[in-house]
Amino acid sequence: MSRHAREIDLALYAAGDMSLWNRISVGLHTANCEQCKARVQAYRTDRERLKQDASELPAGLNWERLAAEMTANIRVGLAAGECVAPRGRKRVVAGWWPVAAVAGTVMMLSAAWWLNLPASDTQSISHAMRGLVHSRTVVADEQPVIEASSGGIKLSENGSELQVSQGGGARPKAISVSTEGSASARYIDSDTDQITITSVMNVQ
Amino acid sequence: MSSRVIGFLIAAAAASAQTPSLKIDLPKDSPIVVLSVDPAGSRATPRGGAYLIDLHASLSLRNSSQKHIRGVALAVQSQEVTLLGTKATVSVPSMNVAPGDAFSMHIDQTLTRTLRGGDGTPSVEVQLDGVLFDDLSFYGPDKLHSQRTLTVWELEARRDRSYFKNLLTPASAEALRSEMLRQVDLPQTRVQVRGRATNADPDREVQFALLNLPDSPVDLTGGTARVSGDEASAPRFDVRSLSKRPVRHMEIGWIVKDQDGHEFLAASLPADLSLAPGQVSQVVQDSALRFPGTSIQSMKAFVSAVEFGDGNYWILSRKALEDPQLRSIVGPSPEEQRLSQIYRKKGLNALVDELKKF
Repeated sequence: MSRHAREIDLALYAAGDMSLWNRISVGLHTANCEQCKARVQAYRTDRERLKQDASELPAGLNWERLAAEMTANIRVGLAAGECVAPRGRKRVVAGWWPVAAVAGTVMMLSAAWWLNLPASDTQSISHAMRGLVHSRTVVADEQPVIEASSGGIKLSENGSELQVSQGGGARPKAISVSTEGSASARYIDSDTDQITITSVMNVQ
Repeated sequence: MSSRVIGFLIAAAAASAQTPSLKIDLPKDSPIVVLSVDPAGSRATPRGGAYLIDLHASLSLRNSSQKHIRGVALAVQSQEVTLLGTKATVSVPSMNVAPGDAFSMHIDQTLTRTLRGGDGTPSVEVQLDGVLFDDLSFYGPDKLHSQRTLTVWELEARRDRSYFKNLLTPASAEALRSEMLRQVDLPQTRVQVRGRATNADPDREVQFALLNLPDSPVDLTGGTARVSGDEASAPRFDVRSLSKRPVRHMEIGWIVKDQDGHEFLAASLPADLSLAPGQVSQVVQDSALRFPGTSIQSMKAFVSAVEFGDGNYWILSRKALEDPQLRSIVGPSPEEQRLSQIYRKKGLNALVDELKKF
C-alpha cells in the first residue's frame, strides 16, 4: 500500500464491500491517516445522500410521460430483436453405429422394465395411452377400482392389486357387483359340491 | 449393459419364495372351532417390482353350537398387502352342518402389491365375521354385513328348495329335470365399480325403465343415471313404500342393455334408508360403473330385496323370477346352483335325497 490508500479501496471500504483482509488493512491505515479518513467519511456522506435521493421522485417529474417513454423504448428494443435473423444451428453428423447402439439399449431397457412391471401398472399405462389415443380426458385412477369378470374379482389402488381367484384356475359360476364398492365371485367345489363365495369390498 | 439386464431378469425369476404365516383368530365363545389348518401350497414371491402372495389354505372346522349351521363368513386380511380400507371375505352359504359335525372351508386368494423396503415374511389373518344358524339367528361381529348377505342367501335357498320339492311328484319329475337342465352359465360381463366417474366425455342423463313386480313392498317411481360411452354413474331413484312395515334397507337390481341388444344384470344398488309405510324417498349414490368394450344403450331397474325394520326380509319370489324380463337376466341362487350341480353329477335320485335333508 502506498502512502495514502487508493481511491477505489477507500470507496469500497466506505461501502463495506471489501474482503476481510483488505478491510482490516484499509481500516488500520485510515485510523492513522486523517486525509484518507476524511475521504472515507465523504464517500459515506455521498452514499447516504444518494440513498435519500433514490427514495424520492424528483420534483416536477411527469411520471406518465416517463412511463410512456420507457414502454416505447422497450417496444423499440423488441422490434430491433425481431430484425435479427435467427442463427443457423450447427448440424452434427453422426454415424449410424452410435444411433443403433443407443436404440438397442433403449429397447432392451424398455423390454426389461415392461416385463418386470406389475400387471396393474401395465394396465394403468395402457389405459392412459388409450385415453390419449382416443383424445379422452381420463382422471387418474387414484381411487380404488373393483372389477368383476369371468376371471374372478380384483381390486386396484395406487399400483397395488388384490386378486381373488379359486385354486386350480376354476372360473366363477357367477359374479356380482355392488355399487357400494364390492364384488363377489361364486365357485362350486367339484368334489364336495360346496358353494364358496369370495368377496372384496372397499369399506372406506 | 445387456448382460446386466439379463442378470436382473434371471434374478427376478429366481427370487426365493416364502411361506406366509396364517393366523386364525376366532372369539373365545365362537360357535365354530378350528380342528386343523393346512396352508399347503401357499407362498409369497417377489416378482419383478411386486410382491405376490398365493394363499391356498384349507380350514377344518367343527360346529360347537347346539344348532345347525347354514352359513359362515370369514374375513381375510394381510397386513403386508392390505389396500387402504379394503376387506376380503370368504363365505359358504347353503350349509347343513349339524351340532358337533366337522366341515371345511377353503381360502384361495392371490394378492399382489409393489415391493417396499423392509418387506418381511407376509402374514395372513383370518377372522370370523359371522355364522348363520337354521333358525336365522346370527353370531359374529358382522363388520362386513355378513348377517344380511347370509340371511338373504338362506331365504333364497329355502324358496328354491320348497319350489323344487313341489316338483317331486312322479307326474312332475320331468318338470324337475327340465328345471335342473335349464341351469346354464349366464354371460359374465366385465364390470368395474369405483367411487366416481372417470370419463370426461360429454354424458347424458338416461331414464331407467322401471320393472315394478306385483308383490314388491317398495315401488320405484323414477330413476336416472349419467351415461357416457361405457360408463354409467350417479344413479338416482325415487322410491315409495307399499308396505305396512317400516323399511330400513333395500337393494335395487340394475340391468344394462349393450350395443348388441344383450341385457345383463350389471350391479345391485344397496341403500340404507328409513322408509315409513306409504312414505316416498330418494336413493342417490355417487358411484360409477364401467363396462369396458360396451356401449350402454338403455337401462332397467327393479327392487330385488328389502329388509324391514323388524329384521324380516322380502326377496324375489319364484313367480317374479319367471317374469320374461327377469328370467334370462337374474342368475340362480347359490342353492339352486348347488342342487343343479348335484343333479348333473349324481342324477335325480341324489337330488331327491339332498332335498329331503332339509
